Amino acid sequence: MKMGMVIDLEKCIGCRSCMVACKQHNAQPPGTWWNRVFTPGSHHHLTPPAKGIEFFLPVHCQHCENAPCAKVCPVGATYHAPDGAVLIDFERCIGCRYCMSACPYGVRQFNWEAPEKAHQRAGYQEHYRFGYPEDHRKEGRLVYAPLRPKGVVEKCTFCAQYRDKGELPACVRGCPGKARMIGDLDDPDSEIRKLIRERNAFQLLPEKGTKPTVYYLPPKAKEI
Amino acid sequence: MSATMKNALRISGALFLIAIVAWLYQLKEGLVLTNLQNSYSWGLYISGLAFFVGNAAGGLVLSSSIYLFGVKKLKPLAKLGALTAFANVTAAMLIVLPDIGKPIRLYNMLLHPNFMSPLVWDVIVLNLYAAVSALYLYILMLPDLTGPLARFAVKVADPAGFSETWARRIAPVALLFAIGIHVITAWIFSTQGARDWWFSPAMAPDFVSVAIGVGTAVVLLAAALAYGTGEKYQDAYQTLALIVFMAVCVHLFLMMNDLVIHAWFGDAETHRIMEIAWGDFAWAHIFEVVAPLAGAWLLLQERVRRSLPRLAASAGLLIVGVFVHRFLIMPAAYNNIPMTMTPLGLPGVHWSLPIASGRFFPGLSTFLDSYAYAPSFIEVVILLGIMAYAVFLVLLAIAKLPILAKEVS
Amino acid sequence: MKLDRRLFLKGAVGGGCALALGLRFFHFAEDATGYAEQVEQLVRSTCSPNCTGACGYKARVTNGRISTLIQAADYPEESYNPRGCLRGLSMMDLIYGKDRLKYPLIRTGARGSGQFRRASWDEALDYAAGKLKAIADKYGPEAIAATIQVPGTGYVQKGAMVALAGLAHWTMHHGYDQNGDLPMFWPMTFGVQSEELESLEWLNARYTMIFGSNVMQTRLPDAHHMIEAKRRGRMVVVDPDFCSTAAKADEWLPIKADTDAALALGMAKVIIDRGLYDAEFLRDFTDFPILVRKDSGKRLLAGEVRALAGATKGRVIPEYRRLFVVHSGNGLQILDPERLNPTRADLEGEYQVTLTSGQTVAVETVMTALKRTLADYTLDKVAAITGADPKQIERVAVEAATNTPLHIIYGASNYQWYNGDLKGRAISLLPVLTGSIGKSGAGISTYAGQYRIRFNLKSWWFPEGSRLNWVPYLHFLQGKGPRYPEHGIKAMVGGWGNPFDQHNMSNRLKDLATSGELEFILTTDFQMSTSCQWSDVVLPAPTWYEKHDLTATILHPYLQLQQPAIKPLFECRSELWIFRELAKRLVPEHAGHFFPELDENAAALKVIELLLATGGPETRGITLEMLQKGPVRLHSPAPGDRQVPFYEQVHNRQPFPPPSYPAPIAATAQFLRSGRIEFYKDEDLFLSEGEQLPLHKETYVATEYKVNPKAREAYRLRFVTKNSLYRVHSTHSNNTILLELQDNQPKVFLNPAEAQARGIANGDLVQIYNDRGKTRAHAILDPGCSLGTAIFEEGWWARYLADESYNSLTYPWIKPLHEIYFVPGMWSPTTVWNECLVDVRRIPA
Ligand SMILES: Nc1nc2c(c(=O)[nH]1)N[C@H]1C(S)=C(S)[C@@H](COP(=O)(O)OP(=O)(O)OC[C@H]3O[C@@H](n4cnc5c(=O)[nH]c(N)nc54)[C@H](O)[C@@H]3O)O[C@H]1N2
Ligand SMILES: Nc1nc2c(c(=O)[nH]1)N[C@H]1C(S)=C(S)[C@@H](COP(=O)(O)OP(=O)(O)OC[C@H]3O[C@@H](n4cnc5c(=O)[nH]c(N)nc54)[C@H](O)[C@@H]3O)O[C@H]1N2
Ligand code: SF4
Ligand code: SF4
Ligand code: SF4
Ligand code: SF4
Ligand code: SF4
Ligand SMILES: [Mo]
Repeated sequence: MKMGMVIDLEKCIGCRSCMVACKQHNAQPPGTWWNRVFTPGSHHHLTPPAKGIEFFLPVHCQHCENAPCAKVCPVGATYHAPDGAVLIDFERCIGCRYCMSACPYGVRQFNWEAPEKAHQRAGYQEHYRFGYPEDHRKEGRLVYAPLRPKGVVEKCTFCAQYRDKGELPACVRGCPGKARMIGDLDDPDSEIRKLIRERNAFQLLPEKGTKPTVYYLPPKAKEI
Repeated sequence: MSATMKNALRISGALFLIAIVAWLYQLKEGLVLTNLQNSYSWGLYISGLAFFVGNAAGGLVLSSSIYLFGVKKLKPLAKLGALTAFANVTAAMLIVLPDIGKPIRLYNMLLHPNFMSPLVWDVIVLNLYAAVSALYLYILMLPDLTGPLARFAVKVADPAGFSETWARRIAPVALLFAIGIHVITAWIFSTQGARDWWFSPAMAPDFVSVAIGVGTAVVLLAAALAYGTGEKYQDAYQTLALIVFMAVCVHLFLMMNDLVIHAWFGDAETHRIMEIAWGDFAWAHIFEVVAPLAGAWLLLQERVRRSLPRLAASAGLLIVGVFVHRFLIMPAAYNNIPMTMTPLGLPGVHWSLPIASGRFFPGLSTFLDSYAYAPSFIEVVILLGIMAYAVFLVLLAIAKLPILAKEVS
Repeated sequence: MKLDRRLFLKGAVGGGCALALGLRFFHFAEDATGYAEQVEQLVRSTCSPNCTGACGYKARVTNGRISTLIQAADYPEESYNPRGCLRGLSMMDLIYGKDRLKYPLIRTGARGSGQFRRASWDEALDYAAGKLKAIADKYGPEAIAATIQVPGTGYVQKGAMVALAGLAHWTMHHGYDQNGDLPMFWPMTFGVQSEELESLEWLNARYTMIFGSNVMQTRLPDAHHMIEAKRRGRMVVVDPDFCSTAAKADEWLPIKADTDAALALGMAKVIIDRGLYDAEFLRDFTDFPILVRKDSGKRLLAGEVRALAGATKGRVIPEYRRLFVVHSGNGLQILDPERLNPTRADLEGEYQVTLTSGQTVAVETVMTALKRTLADYTLDKVAAITGADPKQIERVAVEAATNTPLHIIYGASNYQWYNGDLKGRAISLLPVLTGSIGKSGAGISTYAGQYRIRFNLKSWWFPEGSRLNWVPYLHFLQGKGPRYPEHGIKAMVGGWGNPFDQHNMSNRLKDLATSGELEFILTTDFQMSTSCQWSDVVLPAPTWYEKHDLTATILHPYLQLQQPAIKPLFECRSELWIFRELAKRLVPEHAGHFFPELDENAAALKVIELLLATGGPETRGITLEMLQKGPVRLHSPAPGDRQVPFYEQVHNRQPFPPPSYPAPIAATAQFLRSGRIEFYKDEDLFLSEGEQLPLHKETYVATEYKVNPKAREAYRLRFVTKNSLYRVHSTHSNNTILLELQDNQPKVFLNPAEAQARGIANGDLVQIYNDRGKTRAHAILDPGCSLGTAIFEEGWWARYLADESYNSLTYPWIKPLHEIYFVPGMWSPTTVWNECLVDVRRIPA
């Protein structure tokens, strides 16, 4: 089994619901976003870079097979789970941020301060925090925690806490465009493998040799 | 101990203590006190690492010159070289601490080292190099460990002979580790395919050449400060100056070589890097080239070498130039967001995907596609404190240990 | 609720093993909080802001607080799952945010100062009741005006306010016209309030044309159906702006703003000239064959015609119908307004008719008259007006006519112009000409706020003894009008709306509040909106995760419940309770209507049962228990209870219009006296305005240029205020998560050339101004934005605009024609937000 995700850019309407679902379910404090959706070429989302040209691109951890972040991590805090997802052990990370530098996709986020402080600055009611409320361990390693300590790195986990319960990742459940799909890349007959084959799927920055397991289906060109 | 020495010790010691307090405060509040953010994850501290590692090369230059290449006139400076090496390599390890988000967990490096990580290699070689330079220093000092220091001396029949033999034996090992710390520190950067500014095979040899230059200049400066610029040392100084100059030339050659290749290939990525390097940071880059070259060239001049202020200014210019060079490792790597692409339908457009800064300020933007980093006050304080540590250590050792050649002290 | 609620107890500290405990300090020293021994629940409710998306959500409740929200995705048609968007997904930011109201408040500082003191419920209610009583005694009860905002997102709680207003004989403003969401072409052409396909029906269209509706953002949970529709047909977007909907379309047809009528008429001409229309449909279901007198412009009545007058005698038709005349092979013929049987009437022709008076008049069919009108809309001329490519116009017209069913979406921003009714009438020609009405995947839809009421609410909303004085909001803003109270409006009672940002046209509301003309303002909300800031009494309400309600909006025609996942925060009380308490104080004799014997939750459930039982055919057989299990489809005449407008009219040949709630059919059918789709309007005002048939009129001529001829030069930008992805109007204005996504900045979008001409660079802070007011935003140079337009994403709370409300720029224009089509609680003039000229200048840093 090798986890993979397919994002259909034809279906993606750039609504950023997946960003918010991800942020909310994974308890990301203000200022931290594991998942980003932008309008390529444009400084402002939903503003076309040129007349008549616009599409949208969600980017989160690409769960690379040849993951530089895992290779550089001095303590093995970043590692490949058996299903191929790249996870971070919040109890082991020393916060050296080497992985952030090594990741070509800019998806890793650091806890520069205690998340509670950012929450306070945003004005939430006393001690209120959103997010999946329990710690989640995989083979004993803490890969999700609603409260991350300051000084550790975090990023998309393919929603380990949900997948281990047989639920879909929050961004997949929350995508009103139905543009996101997960599946088994090892299974040639899986839905995502079929889409990858039939729809000319591409990966981000393939030249970096990271071998992402997140694939994108190109948007259709349109007449203007 | 002279009054100057005492004051110098007080000042450097105080600076070091302030840095420790600042670090404790930073530990409490988090790295939010730095001006780093998600897209710009390393800054002054890691530049400091590269800088100190480079400075630590002095010991190698002297020991290998003396014991491998037989440049005997450098012998009186050998201990000083080993001392500055030790001070700088420990400073290099110290400056990493404030950069670590959870330093208390560093034990994980022992429990779960990931041998794929160049950082692990670096920690190993830095520690080994520190150990070797300490050992080397000890062995060089052995004949002089007399009086109250005698209890630290290993009992051997012929301390001088023992020292000579073992210094000769350790020299090649020290050389290996010394080259190792530069190469591996360089690899930390140059293995990162994500950052085109770093991703270059020229970086490791360049690190070595810079280190030989600046490390030697540090010893030269220390020696001049300790022994003065008397005739007796002019020979040694000249040799050192020559090494410095040649190393700087090799460094500039490697750097330019890399730039030319990058620029010639000229893909969009390099264009942006060049824009940052030679646009926003043009003056800094000119300085990083001109200062070491000018410093090294001046040191070649006898007039300069014979005047302490001139020598100190020239060596200082070179060291500052190299420091700027180390600082400039970062901007062109981080100002350019690595996730860049040419959007469909827009050939010729090169676009960076903004990154969430990870730092929340109500009213300001979270997503940034460029970020101008300048170190925060606390970063500067901590870096200065670690520099002060190195100075403090050297001074203290000079004051308390038989570092300087006898006839002078 | 029980069935949908999962309860489970958590055991020991999540996953922590004994071995790890020893190392705890090293691992997680600063946050050793476990989630031991806590109770978790999942509760289904319905996200219910004014977007009317009404998306089902599941709230995970941990230790009495909502920890996560996710789409319930429990609609029986898998295609509707998951419904929801970034706003609904971040709702906890408002529930637990800094602006959440906690206690009843009574104003202490000046109006708008935001200075209040905390009061007990009794004190606040007594105080409010005292003020309202005094105003009613002094000026009459109609001096108190309540606003009913968006019925469909909560029939129970809002009903309490409407019932109280009715029982106390107050004035009532309808949110539909207040918002400008009432597209007047609907009553004019189809005799209904408005209609639309449910989004699942979009898939059945072979050709979709969107005239200025940004469905990718404003109908976000349904947008995927549009992408799917593209696979089976084509989708063309007509919009001056390259909006994200245009970006997703097969084809973008850019036109100058407010020239849609010309475009549609040009396309209609192509379709007619090429004979691509559905003659059968036009004959039987429209007024195309009806004869119009050339002398008076009025439609010929059978009673006027010598040959037919006799036949009309004794013929009983409802009072709201008329007997019109058509011509067929057998000569003149009475058109039966009550049955749409085939008539074989001639669509085109000019005739001489002898009247009972003996006079002979020239008549022609509506279609003949229309063709004459259309003669003005040649492709070249249309291209000149709209700025579009004539070839593209022609091709799209032909494709649309030959790929039916054709579905047209006519967006709110597009009809919120002074001549929006004319545009709507012109655009509806396209589906009508092609026979794309009353069929699956066919028709014209407006997806504005969907204030349309979906079933009979009378039992709860309009009890015995209720009497409401319906006054259009624009008349309130203008301070005059037909039913405007003699002493003016002295008190505003509001909830579910934020008029001090959203309806503060020309700063009217703030001026009325500051001057004291408005003597009392009461608002209930769950957060400290700008309107709360301007109120005298603020009553804290629960959100839709804290109370019971019943919703039915229509892009997915389901009845759904709001259910309390958590207890109302702090001292919040449901609106049913609030208005019941006010009723006890103001109309004690009617307090029994509000189930005073039950607690507020039980009362709300009781009301739901009552509404379901008395809702009419739409709710027949649907029970509370069914709804507690999940969403239930409303009934409709179309197969599968699909929401296909005019299905009965077309399939069963029943006369137009179908009834619109809450009015009786007589009130609405009087506007379609022929019982058919009507393009020809012959009320005097239509004739004097020359609008008996749809035509294109130039923007601003009757408005901005008329009141200030200099505006043509001074203000060169159309101020188009469209809806934001990140807000539902002003709701979520303060959502910190969504603010981050907007760089925390209000923005105005300008064509780069317009910006350059004004020395404005990307990101500059600019002032948007006209004679009436000003606001501020950061300029975004947008190559997709047409020349001459400044696009502003409406909905910012004044505090984000340095207290310069963006609606200080707009003006409450009233198109007099809209006053003819007045039906209480249903139709009144459209508010035309976009009929507004401004200019933009840099604010020096
Ligand atoms: N995200 C979100 N969704 C919402 C709402 C919200 O606030 N936020 N509000 C809901 C409500 S109450 C409403 S009324 C609807 C409104 O929803 P829409 O009808 O979609 O209204 P807008 O988004 O304002 O504008 C749609 C498009 O109309 C274009 N337009 C403006 N003038 C003209 C014109 O003259 N001709 C043409 N062809 N196009 C024109 C604009 O450029 C814009 O792209 O959205 C509902 N859905
Ligand atoms: N210039 C310009 N102005 C416009 C428009 C435009 O396009 N341009 N659009 C217009 C349109 S189409 C519309 S629909 C209107 C919308 O304007 P409004 O109807 O005023 O909509 P919102 O701003 O969303 O305000 C809704 C308020 O109700 C509160 N609320 C939500 N749920 C509840 C509840 O359960 N109980 C209580 N008590 N309060 C609740 C929310 O907190 C919020 O403050 O704006 C109009 N204004
Ligand atoms: S939620 Fe889905 S449609 Fe929306 S931006 Fe994310 S991937 Fe695209
Ligand atoms: S995207 Fe970045 S963080 Fe994720 S696996 Fe690849 S390199 Fe690592
Ligand atoms: S920051 Fe944490 S995860 Fe990243 S490399 Fe360092 S220890 Fe590993
Ligand atoms: S899989 Fe989960 S963690 Fe990853 S982007 Fe989606 S929601 Fe976020
Ligand atoms: S804001 Fe509207 S569209 Fe979004 S989830 Fe709520 S009801 Fe649905
Ligand atoms: Mo609306």
